[in-house]
Parts: sequence; C-alpha cells; structure tokens
Amino acid sequence: MIPHGAQGAGHLATRIAMDLIPKATDAYVISDLGMIAGLIGLVAQDYDRAAEVLTSDLERLRGLFAQAEPLIADPDLKARLAAARELRPVSLRISALSADADLALKVLIDLHAAVENAVDAGEPWAPGLDREIWTYLDEYVAKRTYNAAF
Amino acid sequence: MTTREDELRGGLGRYLSRQWNAPVTIGAMNQIPGGASRETWRVQTTTNGVARGVIIRLDPETSLIDTDRATEFRAIEAAYRSGLPAPEPLFLEHDLSWVGRPFSLTAEVTGCQAGADGIPDEHRAKLGRRKWELLGQIARLDPIALGLSDVMPATTVETCALEQVDYWARVIVADEIHPNPIAHAAIRWLRRHPPPPAQKLSLVHGDYRTGNYLYTPDGDIGAILDWEMAHMGDPLEDLAWSLDPLWHAWATPDLAGRLLPHKEAIAIWEASSGLKAAPEALTWWKVFAALKGIGIWISSSEDFHNGAGKQPILALAGWLMTDRQQQILDDYLSPHSPHRFYEVKA
Repeated sequence: MIPHGAQGAGHLATRIAMDLIPKATDAYVISDLGMIAGLIGLVAQDYDRAAEVLTSDLERLRGLFAQAEPLIADPDLKARLAAARELRPVSLRISALSADADLALKVLIDLHAAVENAVDAGEPWAPGLDREIWTYLDEYVAKRTYNAAF
Repeated sequence: MTTREDELRGGLGRYLSRQWNAPVTIGAMNQIPGGASRETWRVQTTTNGVARGVIIRLDPETSLIDTDRATEFRAIEAAYRSGLPAPEPLFLEHDLSWVGRPFSLTAEVTGCQAGADGIPDEHRAKLGRRKWELLGQIARLDPIALGLSDVMPATTVETCALEQVDYWARVIVADEIHPNPIAHAAIRWLRRHPPPPAQKLSLVHGDYRTGNYLYTPDGDIGAILDWEMAHMGDPLEDLAWSLDPLWHAWATPDLAGRLLPHKEAIAIWEASSGLKAAPEALTWWKVFAALKGIGIWISSSEDFHNGAGKQPILALAGWLMTDRQQQILDDYLSPHSPHRFYEVKA
C-alpha cells in the first residue's frame, strides 16, 4: 500500500506545477500539464474520501427508503424501495461501493419523481418527504465538492 | 517518424495550393490549447510572398461536444456576413484525403487573447458592455433569413425551450456513468415549469461566454469563437448561458463572466437586442443553462472513460465542472438553498 496516498498524489501534482511546467516551452504542453496536475489534485481528494462518500450515501438512502416505502402506492416502486433498503456493501472496494450507490441512486431518482407527483396531487405527507430528499441532495453535492484553485 | 504536425503540414500545403491556385508554403504551426470540441492549430502560410495566418479546426476522434462541423462553419459565415466580429470563414472540407479528418479553415484574428485571467482590470467594464451588446446583436439575427435552415433543426417559439430540455436529457441519460439525481431533478423541474414562448426565434450561439471570444488589449472584442453549438431558439438561452455562475470567478461570483454586475449585463443586452429579459423566463433559462452545462460535463466524462480520446480537458471538465454545476443547480432548486448564486428562485 502507498502510505498517505492522497498526500502523495498531491506532491506529484505540485511537482508538475512547480517543476515541469516552468521548464516546458510549448503552450499546448504547458496547458495539458496544468490540467493533468489539476486532475491529480482532484483524484487525490477522491482517494481519501471516496469510501466515506459512498458508504454514507448508502446509509442515508436506506433511511430515506425506509421512510418512503409505507407512503408509496406504486407496487413496483414500493418493491424497489424494499429491495434497496436491504442494500449492504459486500465489499469495501470503491468499484463495489459505486455499483451499490448507483443502484440506490436510480431508486432515489424515481422516488423523487413520485414524491413530486404526490406533492402536486396534494398528498399531505409529500412536501415533508420532498424536503427530506432535498436535504439528502444538498449533502450529496456538498460531499462531492472539490477544492481547486481555479 | 512522421509526426501529426508533419502530416498536417503536407496535407494542408497541398490543399491550400489547390484552393488558392498558387504554391503555398506552410511556416510555423502551433496547436492551440484548450480546444475541447475540435483539434485547433494556428498555421502561418505564405503565398506569392504574402504571409497569412489561418486557423484549422479538425474533427476530433472524440470531444466534449458532439456537433456538426457544417453547422459551426455556416454559423460563423452568417455572423461574419452580418457584420459581427467573427473569424473570416475560408473553407469547409469533408474530404478525408487531405489531412485524414474533415476540417474547416478560417483567417487568423491577430492581436487578441482569450483567457479570462488575462483581462485587464481597467477594461473589464468596457469589455463587458461590448460582450452583452454583441450578444444582443446576435439575438437580432434571424437564422431562417440567414439561410441556416438546412443546417439547423426547425423549431417554434412555443416548443424551442422544451426541445432543448429533451435534447440534453437524452445526452445525460445516455452518457451518465453514475446516475445523477441533481440533473434528473432539474430536468423534471424544467418540464414542470415551462417558460413563456420565446419573443422570437433567433440565431443562438450556444456557448457565448468568457473564454469563447478574443479580446484586444484595450478591451474590445476581436472575434466571437466556438459556434459549434449554434442553433435556432430563444435568445434568452444565450443570455442565461452567458450569466451562468460557472463563468464567474468561482470564489467571488459577483461579476457576470468576470466582467459586469448581472443587472447591468442584462440591461445592455435588452437595449441591444430590443427584447425583454422577463425575470420568470430568465430564471427558467438559467436553470436550463446549468442543466445543459452538466450535460456537457457528464458527456465529456463519459468520452474520457469510454471514448477514443484521452485529452485531460475531457476529464477535468467531467469531474470539476460536474461538481460545480451540481452546486449551481442545488443552489437554484433546493428549498434549503441560501441562493448564493443570485436571484434565481425555484
């Protein structure tokens, strides 16, 4: 294992930015090197946080699905909510966690659409659940935010 | 070993010699960085002792934006003939035998630069006024009268907005590597809150923003570039895209396009176009602009992972810009939003 992988990647990005770019003479090469350095900086951030982002997604979504399932009338969506509530990571590899999160996000997208229709139909429970989903979406966006100097 | 530059040099020299009916010498060639939709080179040519700079744009193996080169070339041609600052169009070539890919050629516009970081502070306001004045002039252009009907899909003032949503929704569904709940929420919001019909059908540039025009050191605009997403539509689409927070300084988004306060930019556009930017309609188009942005970034990410090209700009756009465009959409649509990005209220 590479110790301090995120830091290591950050050092590589700094090396490109501070050492290689000043020595490059072609504008196209300089531009590409700058973008590659920036990308390594983004990858470094994901390296450190990806498992937490994805496992917390799954945990939050399981809670939302549990809350929604009794309220949803559509039998197909209800069944998908029930199945998604039981999603538990079988591996902590990022590829496996991503696949689980993707499954749950597909269910969330359809749930959100159904809740919006319920809001329009005047279902009293729907506005609260819609706000709950948006709270999750606010978190979804916030925890994927990159720090970048540009 | 023959390099890409050697191939271009030989093919372009033969092509221009035929087109200009005189021997053409190809001098310095420099690939222009940052071109995400086309591979772009600045080329110095000499014919009968006369030096001339040209810009060649080649179809890429893969790109941020999947567009038709003919649409771009014809839109530049229409803008140039309408008196707008656009590069002089020279040739559009579909034959692969010259340089291995289709390409277009325009005259080089000299004495200008494009990067947002280089805009002199003392000229920001002047450049901003010119930017939205020119956008108002684009809004005045009638794409049908300009003869663009054969390269741009027909639309109507009633349907153009939701047709654009449908187009970008298809791109997002086709290209998203991970399901994006923010983008899907925005698609539904746009469909549930349709805007009023367009005031008129205009030529829409499609990507009018800081970075896509060349400016002179004294704050004028030398050329409007990157017409590859040009189409017929509601002129508010261009206005909203030009005001998207992604084009501001991210940490201090107080100036639209890093140039002017929003209200001033809108007022200049209204005076120049003769149209109104009704707040409700402009709000819809701002949400649409952010959705279109996320569609482009999702698509570029997919291209980077699965496509033939591995240009870093595809990945950078796909990752960083998706993050930022999600922040913008969440800011616009979430009921908990502090509305950091101005007055858009869902």
